[in-house]
Amino acid sequence: MIEIRDLHMSYPVESASIDVLAGVDMTIADGETVAIIGPSGSGKTTLLVLLAGLERPDAGCIEFDGVDITELDGDALADIRRDRVGIVFQSFHLVPSLTALGNVALPIEIAGGDQARERALRLLARAGLADRANHYPSQLSGGEQQRVAIARALVHSPDIVLADEPTGNLDLRTGANIIDILFRLNAESGSTLIMVTHDNEIARRCQRAFRLNDGRLIEDEDHAISA
Amino acid sequence: MRFLLDFAWQDLRASGRSLWVFCACVFLGVALVAATGGLYRLINQGLLADTRQLLGGDVEVDADEPLPETVMDWMRERGDVSVVMELDTMLGTDAGDFLRVELQAMDAAYPLYGKLVLQPEMTLGEATGFADGHWGIALDPVLTENLGLTVGDEVYVGSLAMRVRALVLQQPDRALNAEWRGAPVLLSDAALRETGLVQAGSVVDYDYRVRTSLPTNDWRRQFYAAFPGEAWEVRSFESRGRRIAERLDQLASGLLIIGFSTLFIGGLGVFNSIQAYLQSKLKTIATLRALGLRRRRLAAIYLLEVGIMSGASSLAGALIGGGLALAGAATVAAELPMVTAFGSLPVPVLIAAAFGLLTAYAFAFPAIGRALTVDPATLFRGTAAESAHRPARWWLASLACGTIIIALVLLVLPDTLFGAGFVLTVGLLLLLLDLVVRGIRGGAKRLDDHPALTRRFDLRLALANLHRPGTPLRATLLSLGSALTLLVACAMVVTSLVRTINETVPEESPALVLYDIIGDQLDSVAAALQQLPGVVRLDTTPLVRSRIVAVNGQATSELGHLNRAQRRDASQDNYDLSYSANNIDDVTLFAGEWWDDPVEDVARLAIEDREAEQLGLQLGDLVTFGIAGHRLETRIEAIFSQRGVQTRFWFEGIVSDGALDGLVHRHVGAAYMDDAVAIDAQRRIGQIAPNVITVRTATLLATARDILGKAVAGLAVVAGVSLLASVLVLISVMAAGRSRQIYDATVLHSLGTRMAAIRRSLLLEYALLALITTTFAVLLGSAIALPLLSMRLKLPTDDLLLVGLTTAAVVSGVSLHLGARYLLRRLQVWPAILLRGAN
Repeated sequence: MIEIRDLHMSYPVESASIDVLAGVDMTIADGETVAIIGPSGSGKTTLLVLLAGLERPDAGCIEFDGVDITELDGDALADIRRDRVGIVFQSFHLVPSLTALGNVALPIEIAGGDQARERALRLLARAGLADRANHYPSQLSGGEQQRVAIARALVHSPDIVLADEPTGNLDLRTGANIIDILFRLNAESGSTLIMVTHDNEIARRCQRAFRLNDGRLIEDEDHAISA
Repeated sequence: MRFLLDFAWQDLRASGRSLWVFCACVFLGVALVAATGGLYRLINQGLLADTRQLLGGDVEVDADEPLPETVMDWMRERGDVSVVMELDTMLGTDAGDFLRVELQAMDAAYPLYGKLVLQPEMTLGEATGFADGHWGIALDPVLTENLGLTVGDEVYVGSLAMRVRALVLQQPDRALNAEWRGAPVLLSDAALRETGLVQAGSVVDYDYRVRTSLPTNDWRRQFYAAFPGEAWEVRSFESRGRRIAERLDQLASGLLIIGFSTLFIGGLGVFNSIQAYLQSKLKTIATLRALGLRRRRLAAIYLLEVGIMSGASSLAGALIGGGLALAGAATVAAELPMVTAFGSLPVPVLIAAAFGLLTAYAFAFPAIGRALTVDPATLFRGTAAESAHRPARWWLASLACGTIIIALVLLVLPDTLFGAGFVLTVGLLLLLLDLVVRGIRGGAKRLDDHPALTRRFDLRLALANLHRPGTPLRATLLSLGSALTLLVACAMVVTSLVRTINETVPEESPALVLYDIIGDQLDSVAAALQQLPGVVRLDTTPLVRSRIVAVNGQATSELGHLNRAQRRDASQDNYDLSYSANNIDDVTLFAGEWWDDPVEDVARLAIEDREAEQLGLQLGDLVTFGIAGHRLETRIEAIFSQRGVQTRFWFEGIVSDGALDGLVHRHVGAAYMDDAVAIDAQRRIGQIAPNVITVRTATLLATARDILGKAVAGLAVVAGVSLLASVLVLISVMAAGRSRQIYDATVLHSLGTRMAAIRRSLLLEYALLALITTTFAVLLGSAIALPLLSMRLKLPTDDLLLVGLTTAAVVSGVSLHLGARYLLRRLQVWPAILLRGAN
């Protein structure tokens, strides 16, 4: 379970500071799919960054199964990401020097896990990219790169998958395809999916949807499908 | 660890050729250090492996006359004795050629150490004995090559016709400077006496070599105690080894410093190329961190990459450098009596490789440290960028590497003082450079708002590029600036040497220089020359060999202001004295005045500046010379300076006329005539006075040109390698700044700036860099070359600033222009594509 309490975050802009998150509270059960929606600059990505433990909030806490990750040091946070979190970026961020297979196997190899390549290949096959396993990112289309990124985020069966506008850099048709794959693979792994999106249609496919406005998070009952 | 290594390897493989500058810089520096260090070690070990062989015995007693029988008996009681008589003279051929040689007459006990190898194989006695109506000689192969002689030919030494019976393939005690001082000619003692060359006034050296089981210091002490007050010099194989080692150390230190300088310049290339490489890896670094890779393990990946690249480059450089050292040692071994000790090569080669690794890490640590500051959160926001924070730990690591490098430099350089000077110079250079860079940046910033530049957008842009953060100014100045400094200094020295040889010497020099004219030969030599057509003038002057026995009444061996080695040199060195009449060697006074009045109680002395400096002598000091058992009191009235390479006689002292009367046995002379006549004159003198050594200026010039050619080639290689390293750095600077420049240009273009204006600003930026680099190099290069030329080499320095300026301007202009053109070509890409690429 993920529990966020009274989360505050601001960024300095010249002499003043802008409050991006102003007391965010949220509880997410294991295996839930959650959409975060809101206008540009509303703090969606900031929330995701904090959930990934990549930045520290000004105040408040984020608990993963009762462990407050805001209290952890850099190495412990890295370990949390390595073992429990998968991230899907809008711009894919694959490692250009590794093949698709190498990229997907990366989280397991970082963790020193067994059968990294075999597990990665299986997941790539599930993403429809078995025949592209030995291609480098530069040899893949945008959609294919994002499928590799999704496989990389799920290969180590994380508890939580954070997805930041996963279709933001893709055309509509490819985007829809990617979302299908993301939901399908996530459902198979049973991970909690937290996704930032602009797209109401995509948000509707999540069990719950939250809207970020003026630094506050409000659950949007209309957008979410019933659990 | 396996994963980290795999990842590092894959990452490197995917990087293609982007890191070739990194590898080339490390390779070049390591190869030079390995080559120079390896060559030094090989020669040092090879030459000094057995200095007993080089000296010819454990100890050697040098005398200028045969030692009395009592002394010989004393020596024979304490070991085996072998005597070698040495005498410089001319060797003539049937073709009428004459060449200066060193006659060596040795007894049957020679050599006490090592082996003399003759071709065809025979004993020394067989080679130099009397047979078929002729005495035999064994010749150094240099002579057979220069004079076109073969075994069986007839040659003339003094008044004797002799037969070449053998070539000397290996002579254990062959002098290291035999090539230019006079190649050895081996003959028997009896034959030498028959040549008629040994007579009053002849300069014959008697070297008594002794093989003894006594410690050499004890032997020497006992010898001096048994024969006090004698002018015989005792040298041990250790002191001979020490002297050779000192000379080698100085030479090797100079060469190694060139290697270290190249490695240092190359280090800047390492820094720039690794920085550019890591810039391209920022997203990967951020991604890996976002995927949960700890910072320490991430650092390990890039440290491994640096290790793999610098290790491979260092290994390749060390192997190539080691190969060059072996090739160099083989060349030297053909000229010098040394055995190449291959076992001594691995250490300097491994040290060179260690230098490569350390330099790479020293320059790579800060770049890696900065790259690792990239915030993975930026991946969610589009672009990955380093933080402005400079991680202290990485700088400390870099500093630690730098400290180890400095310690190693001081340890490795044979001359520690030289090494300390090098480290200090580099430190001062960096400090000076920093001040210059700050000054230029400040000036450029101030000009930014200058009203005169309001309408000169391109110039303002160029000036802005000089003072913006991350400007390539420092790296360009340090790399191209230091290489150009070396190039300017080399160009000035070479130009001055070439001018001196090509212009000054032929006009001012006599066609023939004569040495060792014995007193009663003066008239006959003069008459022989006067009979030849075209002989314009003959100047002669006495030459008296002396030693300094006291300064201001204090014995030379007790002079308190000199150290032990200086006192030893001062009391054992020979000083050639002459008269001031004619000023035959055209020396220049720079302190005191020539005298007009005749000798009073104390003779007047003009002393050579370097001798005065070494002994700490000043005007008014009293110097007592010892000449063949007589003492000559002199007072320093003037200090003169030799004319460098134009000097023919190398007098150490010139005394007032008449002071040497009664002590003069030899004269030197200079004859002015056409060179064609000089050949005849040389033959004529060879016939009537075979002991007189004659050297044609044309021959001297040919030798000087040969030496000069080698010096020019050597300097060109030094400057070329340094320039290559700096061009590599320049490439790395451009590679590091290229993406920024293309991005800036694209943005400017998309905002409406014409491409022509962008190109102009880029050209202006590089023109400003060229101007600054040229000024820097000319000032520093002149500061090195001009004092060296005027004070040390005594060569003219007129118009050399123009030479330096032209060299620096052309090279920096061409290098930077090529760089600018390369960037301009890249800027011709369609901006829309660049914009997409930039994002």
